[in-house]
Order: sequence, then C-alpha cells, then structure tokens
Amino acid sequence: MSELERELRSLAIEWPETPALTPVLGRQRSRRPLVLALAALLVALAVALAVPPARSAILRFLHLRGETIEFVGTLPAAQERSLTAGLGRELPLAEAEARAGFTALLPAHARVHHAFARPGVLAIRLGKGRLLSELSGVGLDVQKKLLPGATRLQAVEVGGEPGLWIEGGPHVLVFLGPGGVIETRTLRLAGNVLVWEHGALTLRLEGPLTLAEALRVAGAVR
Amino acid sequence: MESVEGRPPESDLVERARKGDARAYERLVAMHRQTAFRTAYLITGSAAEAEDAAQEGFVKAWRSLWRFRRGAELRPWLLKIVANEARNRVRSSGRRTSLALRVAHESSGDAAPSPEASLLEAERRETLLAAVNALPEPARLVIACRYFLELSEQETAAVLGVRHGTVKSRTARALARLREEVPA
Repeated sequence: MSELERELRSLAIEWPETPALTPVLGRQRSRRPLVLALAALLVALAVALAVPPARSAILRFLHLRGETIEFVGTLPAAQERSLTAGLGRELPLAEAEARAGFTALLPAHARVHHAFARPGVLAIRLGKGRLLSELSGVGLDVQKKLLPGATRLQAVEVGGEPGLWIEGGPHVLVFLGPGGVIETRTLRLAGNVLVWEHGALTLRLEGPLTLAEALRVAGAVR
Repeated sequence: MESVEGRPPESDLVERARKGDARAYERLVAMHRQTAFRTAYLITGSAAEAEDAAQEGFVKAWRSLWRFRRGAELRPWLLKIVANEARNRVRSSGRRTSLALRVAHESSGDAAPSPEASLLEAERRETLLAAVNALPEPARLVIACRYFLELSEQETAAVLGVRHGTVKSRTARALARLREEVPA
C-alpha cells in the first residue's frame, strides 16, 4: 500500500450516526397469491378459448417475466432443431457466466462445466436431452406460440415461485432480441417445458420430461 | 458451532436466516448495519435517505435470502442490494448528490505531537479530503469505498455495480489524480 493510500485510510471521516435499523421482516417469500392468480387465469382462459369469438380476441395473455405465451390460430413455420440451435459455441462455465452477466443456478450435485451464453442468457445441458435455460430479462425475451387445444398449460409452483408446465403438442419457441426483433436462428419447435421464476431469473427446463421429473429437477436448482 | 467470541459464525446465522429465523437475520443486520448505512450515505448524500435505503435494502435482502448462494460472502451481496436501493432513491428523486465528506476532529489517542505538527497534519488531512471531494463522482465513490469504508475490491465492485477490473483501473486513476492535486 502506498503512502497516499495509508493517508486516505487514516483519515477519520465524520459520518452521521448510524441509526438502529430495525427492518420489519415479513414472510421471506409469499408468491402463492401470484401462483393462484396464474391458475385462475388459466381456467378463465380455457373457458374463453372454448368460445370461438373470444378466441381471436386473445393475444398475449401471459407474461412470466421474460417469457410471453401467446395462443395463435396457426403456428408459424418452424422446424425440429436441436435445443441449443442458434445459441453459439458452448463455453467454459465461468466464461459463460461472465458473458451472461450473472451466476448460473444449477441443480444440486449437477456436474456442469460448460454452458451456452449471451448477454442475459445462459443455457446449460443437463444430460438426457434436457436443457436448462436462464434468462435475466436483459437482452433477450422468449415468446411461445401455442395452438389452443393442442398444448396444455398448467400453473405450478416451484419452491414457492410461480411457474407454468407446458405439455402436449409442439409449440414454437421464438427468441426476441433487443427491440423485439425475432432471432430466426433460434426459431424452433419445442416440446414439454417447465417455466418458472427463480428470484431475478426466469428459468425454463425443456426436454423429454414428465411434470413430476421436471419439478424434481427444478426443485433442486439453487 | 460457536466462534471464539462465543457467537455463532456468520455462516450459521445466514443458514438459520435462510430457514426463516428472523432473530438470526437481525443479528446479521446488526453486524452489517454501519457499513450498509455508510455505503448508502455515500450514494444518496443524505442521512435520512441513507437510513431509508439501508432499511429497505435489508428487508429486500431478507425476502431474497433464499437466493443467496451458500458459501458466498454475505457482505458484498447485502451491500449490493442496499447500494441499488440507494441509487434507485437518488434516481427517483431526480436530484444530484453533492456529498462533501468532512474530517472528524477527534483525538488519535497517540502521544500528542507538537502544536505545529498537529496543525500541519490537520491541514494536510483537510486538503486531502477536499481533493477527494472534488473528484468526479465515480472516482470519489471508489476512493470512499476502498479507503474510508475499507471495502475489498470485490465489495466495491458490488456496491458500484461495475466489474472488478473497473474498480482497479478507476482506483489507480483516482489515486494518480490525488497525487497530482496533493503532492506528498
């Protein structure tokens, strides 16, 4: 440490007196009302979709931070592609985290050394054809286009956080870059997926999974 | 497990707080409240705003504690939340902070130097702090975090919301400027 740094350290600053600070602590997490609201919304939507005139009036009905779900009459053209299509090169985990700008959340005991990354997004292969994607809501949004009736939605709760299980017919996954521009490189058909909020991130677990399996993996994510 | 002082180590308190133990969290607040408050004060320039920001930051941290990574250091995480809260308050109030730190006039406890030496030392301290106060805000904040709050580079990066490398380069530039302004 230089002489100047020592001098700076030894300056006695006149700070205001530190107040007692007694934050009023409520429950640590209370997202159940949101989950219930989501479930109620899904029921209302299912009823509305059964009525043809109402169907056309419904557009983006759900927005789980960073993930918009939209019912459409016809799915846009898309093809079966790898889960990691358009995500670029797999990077060492630390490098990927630095690129994404946040630390990856991983299932406990998962041995993960690599990830796909871009600012605000991490995608991690968990084996058995499963992909865990993490979105911080910065730089990239995900839009799902679903056919009513072909794809089922179920409101779920993962560790107290709201989530959605999407199962059944394939739906189209659209990645939206800055300004809402569609990233065609990533446009693809998607299968069963669990989407849920985990703190500041929105996570999606995709692959050949049942709901129980997906919830088990999601519940272990820390 | 108890530490040598007979108090549970911070990691135990964090683990208990993660499970919803409010008393354990209150002890963590007590351990970090001074640094958190002073950090917020540096950003807001107001004791009242700093108190509100620290208070709100601690509440937000409590609600998000389950997200805190086990084994990580708590203080940088807490300070980041409080600093964000402080910045949000400054942003929403639409005012610019104009904090001017002052030297406290207190006895050092050392053997009393001569009146002349004391006067020179006091003048030097006042001049140095005036030079710090005159720095642009990013430079002033990095100096205050590193040397007045004695935060690590990692903690300073968390508080300022910048990369570790930015803290290093910003500190080096700020020190160089102070050396020009206040030659030894």
